[in-house]
Order: sequence, then structure tokens, then C-alpha cells
Amino acid sequence: MRTPIDVDRKKPARKSSAKAARGADASHIVTVLRAFSVGQYGGRLDLSEFEGTPLLDIARAVNATADHVEAEIREARQRIDTVSAGVDEAIEAMVRLVIQGDLSGTLRLGVSDAALTPLIAGVGQVMETLKKFVTEIREAALQLSSSSAEVLAAATQNESSTSAQASSIHETTATMEELKGASHQIAENAQMVASIAEQTLSGAKQGEGAIKAFMSAMEKVRGNAVEVDDAIAKLSKRVERIGTVVEVIDEIADRSDLLALNAALEGAKAGEAGRGFSIVAAEMRRLAENVMESTKEIKNLITEIREATHAAKEASDGNKRMAGEGEKLGGNAMTSVSGILSGIQETSDAARVIHLATQQQRTATEQVVQSMAEIEEVTRQAQSGSKQATGAAAELTKLAERLAELVKRFKVE
Amino acid sequence: MTAETTEILVFQVGASAFAAVVHDAVRIGSVRDVPAEELVVGSALGMPFERTRGIVVAAGEAQERTLVVDQVLGVRSLPAEDVHPLPPLAAACLSSGAVTGFVVMDGAPTLLIDLRALVREHPAAPHKRAA
Repeated sequence: MRTPIDVDRKKPARKSSAKAARGADASHIVTVLRAFSVGQYGGRLDLSEFEGTPLLDIARAVNATADHVEAEIREARQRIDTVSAGVDEAIEAMVRLVIQGDLSGTLRLGVSDAALTPLIAGVGQVMETLKKFVTEIREAALQLSSSSAEVLAAATQNESSTSAQASSIHETTATMEELKGASHQIAENAQMVASIAEQTLSGAKQGEGAIKAFMSAMEKVRGNAVEVDDAIAKLSKRVERIGTVVEVIDEIADRSDLLALNAALEGAKAGEAGRGFSIVAAEMRRLAENVMESTKEIKNLITEIREATHAAKEASDGNKRMAGEGEKLGGNAMTSVSGILSGIQETSDAARVIHLATQQQRTATEQVVQSMAEIEEVTRQAQSGSKQATGAAAELTKLAERLAELVKRFKVE
Repeated sequence: MTAETTEILVFQVGASAFAAVVHDAVRIGSVRDVPAEELVVGSALGMPFERTRGIVVAAGEAQERTLVVDQVLGVRSLPAEDVHPLPPLAAACLSSGAVTGFVVMDGAPTLLIDLRALVREHPAAPHKRAA
């Protein structure tokens, strides 16, 4: 509510009467109003200058407005001071509570101003919200501390596991490197075994052919021995027949010799008359003796032939027996070589399969070695990260403990 | 003029050759077909190696004995001066009376045997003869 302002009480800077007499103009009013417009309310118009002019009422109104505005400004400044004091008190009380950490109480101000009611209500609400936040932060800090401890334990365990894993992977990589070398050696050995098996197979096949040729030769030897045996048997029969004939001849010669002897004897007995007879008898006897000598030689030859045929028969029997044994041995050797061939064939096939498998193993091992190297690198990075995580978890644990300690300072109950 | 000769049968017993007058021998035969009791195997002349030839000798009373010899070497006609009687000292030394002298053949002396006397010194076995 505005109250009328007595412009006379202000006693503005008065001009001389002469000056007023000389008549004030509107420019003074404009100057004062221009000062008002920039917040300078201290200026007043000298009403005496406007005495008798139509501008006197305006000048009075201007001065009254200025008085009124100044009065309200003073009142507003007083209220501002009051509210500022309340705000300062509230802030000071809130700061004091926050510094002391005691959020259990309520804010009570010595200043009672209606304008501060929303502030007090707001500060109370802030305090409640802060109390709630602190409570939640305390619980969260506790949980954080517990969780960070668990994270630290897990990170430590993880770091230890990662280190052990890295060590194992390193050892595995080294082992795989050795295995790679061994696979290479095995592949070369398998190739060599396969080559030797092929050569052995070729040699065994040649041996099989040689044994077949040997058995064929033994069969021919046995056949020849049988033919020789038959020839010897025929020869023996012929010789026996010759022997019989020779015996007959010998018998005849013997009888002829006997007759010749008796003839010679009778011739001799007859004396001169039997002389010619004796000569003939002697000649006959000589012939008979020649025959007997020949038959004796023939008998000796027959004996030699018998011995020779007997030796040939024994040799032939020996040949047949040896050929039979040779065929039997050849058969056994053939069976053995067939078994060996089968075994060598299986060995050759197996060696070839092993060679292929070892080549695949070699390739796979090289891939595994490559993968292990990559895994080792990744594990090394994971180990580094795990160490960092452990450090971070330890730091986090310290921060959580620190946060819990800080939150404990606030009393909310 | 023809020189007087003596017909001699030459035979061998064991390793020695002997001579006999051809008229002492009836014939020359084989031992195989002669009964054993008629054979004269061992005699003063020795034992023959082979028993293939035999000289059949008349032993009186139409009896014949066969002297087993190794070989009958033949009939030789010798000059009479080559036939000699046995010296008395030699005859006294010999136990057999069948050796009557010696003949010289090819420069070497050969005992002359009386075959009939020889076989008589070896009578045949009684039971054989009875059979």
C-alpha cells in the first residue's frame, strides 16, 4: 500500500526564486526521470521552480513517486537483510551439521520469516534426502567393501590361476615344440620304414620267384632221377641178362676146354697117330681159354657195371630223396615266404598309413604349436590384465574401506 | 730119325705144378658131378685152392677116383732125356711113394706123379662106398 509522499519533506536542491521565476521547463523533469530509469532515485525536483506552471503537479508526482520508491527499496532491503540472515543461519547450520556429520537432528532457525519457510522446508528436505543418501551410501559402501574384498580375492585367485595357466601353457608350448620336432622325426622315420618295407617286399617277391624256380628245378631233378632210376633198372636187367649169357658162354667154354683137354689127352695116349688130333685139341683148348678169359673180363666188367649201377641207383635214390626234401623245404620256404610276404605287405600298408598319419600329425602339431603360441600371447596379456585387475581391486578395496570410513562419520539415527 | 718122346699131363695143385704120364689119367672131368667119396681132395701134393677140375684115375677093379686139382695146364710132349727117375736120397726123404721122378720143362724141374699110387694112398670112405 502506497502512502503519499510529502515532497516538501525531502527538501530537494532548491533553485533560487529568481531562477524559478525565470520559469522551470520540462527538461528538468526529463532529467530526473532519466535518472530514475537507471535506478537513481535520489534526485528531486524543486517545486518552487514550477510554481505557477502547469508542470507543478507533475513535478510533485515525480517527487512523490521517488519518495515512494525509495521507501519501498528501504523496506525491501530490510527484508533482504532479514532473509539473508536466515539463509546464512540455515546454511551455517546445515554446514555445521554436515561438518559434524550429524544428520539425525532437524534444522531450527532463530529467524522467523514467512519467506524463509520454503527455504527451511527445502533445507529439511535436502537434509532428509542427504540422510537417505548417506544411509544408502553407507550400505552401498559396506556392500562395496565386501564386494571389493571378494573381487580382490577373486582377482588374486585369478592372477594366481592365470600365472599357473601361463606357466602350464608355456610348458605345453615347449612340449608341443618338442612334439613338433618328434613328429617331424617320426614322419621321416615312417617314410624311411615305408621305403624299407617296399624294398623288403620287392626282395621277398624276388625270393618267392626264386623259390618257385628252385621248386620247379627240384621237380625236374626228381623227374630226371626217376628217369635215371628207370634207365638204371633197365640197365641192370640188361646187365643181368648179359651175365646170364656170359655164364652160359663160360660154361660152354669150360666144357669146350674140358673136351679139348680130354681130346689132347686121348691124342697123347694115341701116340704118333694122335699127334694131329692133339694139335687140334690144343688149338681148341686155346680158343676155349681165350673165351673163358674174355668171359672173365666180361664178368669183371659186369661186376664193375653192377657196382656202378648200384652206386648210380644209390645216387639216384639220393637225388630223389634230396629232391623230395628240397621240394619239401621249398614248400616250407614258400609257406614261410608267403607268410613273410603277407606280413611285409601289411607292414608296408601300415607304414604307408603311419607315414600319412604322421604327416597329418606333423601338420596338426604345427598348427597346435601356432595356436599355443597365440594362446600363450593371449594368456600373457590376460596375466598382465589380471595383475592390473588385482591392483585395481586392491585399490578399489582401499577406496571402499576409505568410503566406508568416511560414511561412518555421518550420523543418521 | 724120330726122337723118342714122353707124353706128360701137366696140372697144378695149390701153387705148384706137377706132371703125370698121360696113361695114368682116364679123362679130365668136372668135380661138380662126381660123388664126394670118389674125390681125392687133400693129398701129398697139397690142398687145391679151387675144386673145379678133377683128373679121373683108374683105381683097379673098374673103380675110378678123381683127384681134385686147381688147373689142368695141358699135355706136353717131352723128350725122353727130360724125364728122370727120382734119386734114391730124395725117394728116401719123401713120405709118399706117388712121386716117381721129375721132368724138366722149360729148364725147370717138375715132380712126376704116379696118379694111381697117389689115389691109392687115399682110400675112399667105407660108408660112402657102401652107399
